[in-house]
Amino acid sequence: MHAFHIHYRNTQGTLMRILTAVSRRGLDIPYVLASASGNPHRADILLDVNAKQIGQLCRDWHAIVDVIDVRVGVPTPQMLEGGAGFSGPHPPSSASAGGRSTAAMA
Amino acid sequence: MLKGAEIFLKCLRAEDVELVFGYPGGAIMPLYDALDGSGIRHILTRHEQGAIFAAEGHARATGQVGVAIATSGPGATNLVTGIADAKMDSVPLVCITGQVRSALIGTDAFQETDVFGLTLSLTKWSRLVRSIDEIPAVIAEGFYWAREGRPGPVVIDIPTDFLKAKVEFSGPAKFTPKPRQSDEKADGAFADGLIKLLQTAQKPVALVGAGAKLSGAIPELRSLLDELNIPTFATVHGLGAVVPEAPYYLGMVGMHGTRAANMALHENDLLLVFGARLDDRVTGDPSRFAPNSKIVHFEIDPGQLDRVRQCELPIIGDLAQTIPAFAKRVRGAKLPDWSGWRAIACGEDRAELDPRGLSQPTIRFLDELFGRAPKNSVILADVGQHQMWAAQRYCSDSPRGFITSGGLGSMGFALPAAVGVQLSKPDATVLCVSGDGGFQMNIQELATVRRLNLPIKMVIIDNKYLGMVRQWQQLFYQRNYAETDLSDNPDFVEISKAYRINAVRINEDVVREYPVTPETADVLEKFLHSPEPELLVFDCAPEANVYPMVPAGAALSEMLFEEE
Repeated sequence: MHAFHIHYRNTQGTLMRILTAVSRRGLDIPYVLASASGNPHRADILLDVNAKQIGQLCRDWHAIVDVIDVRVGVPTPQMLEGGAGFSGPHPPSSASAGGRSTAAMA
Repeated sequence: MLKGAEIFLKCLRAEDVELVFGYPGGAIMPLYDALDGSGIRHILTRHEQGAIFAAEGHARATGQVGVAIATSGPGATNLVTGIADAKMDSVPLVCITGQVRSALIGTDAFQETDVFGLTLSLTKWSRLVRSIDEIPAVIAEGFYWAREGRPGPVVIDIPTDFLKAKVEFSGPAKFTPKPRQSDEKADGAFADGLIKLLQTAQKPVALVGAGAKLSGAIPELRSLLDELNIPTFATVHGLGAVVPEAPYYLGMVGMHGTRAANMALHENDLLLVFGARLDDRVTGDPSRFAPNSKIVHFEIDPGQLDRVRQCELPIIGDLAQTIPAFAKRVRGAKLPDWSGWRAIACGEDRAELDPRGLSQPTIRFLDELFGRAPKNSVILADVGQHQMWAAQRYCSDSPRGFITSGGLGSMGFALPAAVGVQLSKPDATVLCVSGDGGFQMNIQELATVRRLNLPIKMVIIDNKYLGMVRQWQQLFYQRNYAETDLSDNPDFVEISKAYRINAVRINEDVVREYPVTPETADVLEKFLHSPEPELLVFDCAPEANVYPMVPAGAALSEMLFEEE
C-alpha cells in the first residue's frame, strides 16, 4: 500500500479529476480523505499500486491544472485502519428478509 | 448594461476569435441572438460533431484556438467524441455549451445533462458558469489553458439565464496563472548529459512527433537533425516536420510505418524523442520496444514521460526552447562517426519493396493525386486503410499539411475538419481523403460544403468494406468478415449530386498503367483545379491490405509484408 498526498486548489472538478485518474485505471480506493479547510486543499489517498502505476498516477495528477504538488509516502496508521475493512471489489448484496440492502435502497 | 450573451461574445473577440462553428438549440439561443454584429462569423454545420471537427480542422491548420458551440443535452453530448479527439491530439479547443436555467440544474429538466461531469476526464479544464459576473474571468482562463503548454480541449457550460440577464460590463478579463512546483522546466544544463550519451552511442536515431510541430521550432529541429545526421523517422502526426528528401529520413514509423523506420527504431541504442507520446501504434509490444535503447525524451507534458519505460534523460519543457538549447551545444561537440550505422539503417536493402506502389492501385492513385496537388495543399485523411495509405505516401515538408485523427481514430473526422481547414486557408487546395465507411458518418456536412461553396476536393476510397477492420478479420480472425461488408453502399455520385456537388467515379484499373493515360490525367487535373467543391469516388479492390503491418502485440521488427 502507498499513501499519496495531493495538494490542490479547490476549483470546480479538481478533486474529481484527481479521483478519475485512479478510477480510469480500474483501481479501488480503500481510503480517501479530502480536507476541505485551508488553501491549498489536500487529498490523502491510499492505493495498492506497483511502481509503474505510481509513476503514471503522479504524472497524471501533475498534469491537472490546479494540482500544486504530489507526494508519495508510507501510509499512516489512520489510513491503514480506515482502509482495513476493505477487501477488494464487492458486488451489491441481495435484499434479505431481515433488512434492506444498499442495492434495494438504490 | 449588457446581456450575458453580449459580454460572452465580446470576451471571445478579446481572445481573437473570429470564426466559430456550431448548431443552435434552446439553451444556447440567447448567444445566437446576440451573434449579429458581434464581429464573429458563425458557421452552421449540420450536426454538432461536424461543428467540433470543423473547429478542430481550423485549430490544426492554424494553431489558433478552435471554438465549437452547442446547446444543452444532446447538443453537448454530440460534442464528446470531438473533445476526446482534441485531448488525444493536443488540439486547442474551447467548447461552449448552453445549460438549462441555473434554477433547474439537477432537476432532470428538458435537455439537461451533466456536461461538466461527463467531460471531466476528457478536458484539460472546464467550468460550469455560476453567475453572469464570472463570464469574463471564465473565458479568459479557459482560453489560457486551451493554449498553454500541451494544448487541449476546454468546456465552458453556461446556464441560459446568465446569457439573458444584464449586468454592467467593465471589459474582458486577463488570466495570470499561479506558479506551482511542477512547473519547473529544463534549463540548458541537460545538453551536457545528452552530449555524453551521444558520444557513447553507436546507433542513435531520432523520432519526431506532433509536439515538435506544435512548438513551432521546425527550422531549429531541421537544422539540428542536419547537424546530427542520424536515422530519423516521424509519427503520423510528425509527418511534414522533417524534409522528406533528407538523406537520413526514413519515413513514418509504427504499425504501418516503413520497413527502414521500424527496423531502425527496433535496433537503435539511443532514441531521441522529440514531442511524441510513444503510444502502442508507435511502439508495438511495449515489452519488446527498442530493447537496447536508452531514451531521451523532449516533452512539454510530463504526463507523457516513462509511459513505455523509464527514460534515461527526460527533458521537460517547450521544445521551442529545448531544441535550440540542444542544437547550440551540438554544434561545438565532438561526436562519433555514425556513417556505418547510417549506411545500414538507410541502406537499399531496407528500402520499400514496391517504391512506386505498382502492385497496389490505391497507392498509385494517391501518388498521382498528391503529386499533382499544388505545393500549398492540405491533405486530410479520415480513419482506416486509406488513412494509412495516405500517410505512407504523404511527401510534403509542410508541417501543417497533413491532418488526421491519429490518437482517437475518429471515423467521420475528415469531411467536417476539411470545412474548418478550407475556411481558415481559403487559398489552399484542401484534399479530403475518406473511406466509404467514414464518409457516411458525417456525410451531412456536404450541405455545409455546398452552402459555403467551399472548393474542397473530396475523395472516397471505396472498397465497400470497413477496410481496416476487414483486414484485421482477414489476418487475425480467419476471414470472418463479421459486419464489415458495405457492398450495399449508396451511390456516392448520386448523393453528391443531390447536394449539388459535382462528382465523378473512376475505377482502379485506370492507374494500373505507369504513367497514367492522358484521359486519366485530365480527370485528376480537372478535379484538383476546379474552383468548386468536387467529389471523386475511387473504386478499389475490396480485399486490398495496408502493408507493412506490425500486428497488435508484436515487436516492430515483426512486420508483415504484401503476400507474393
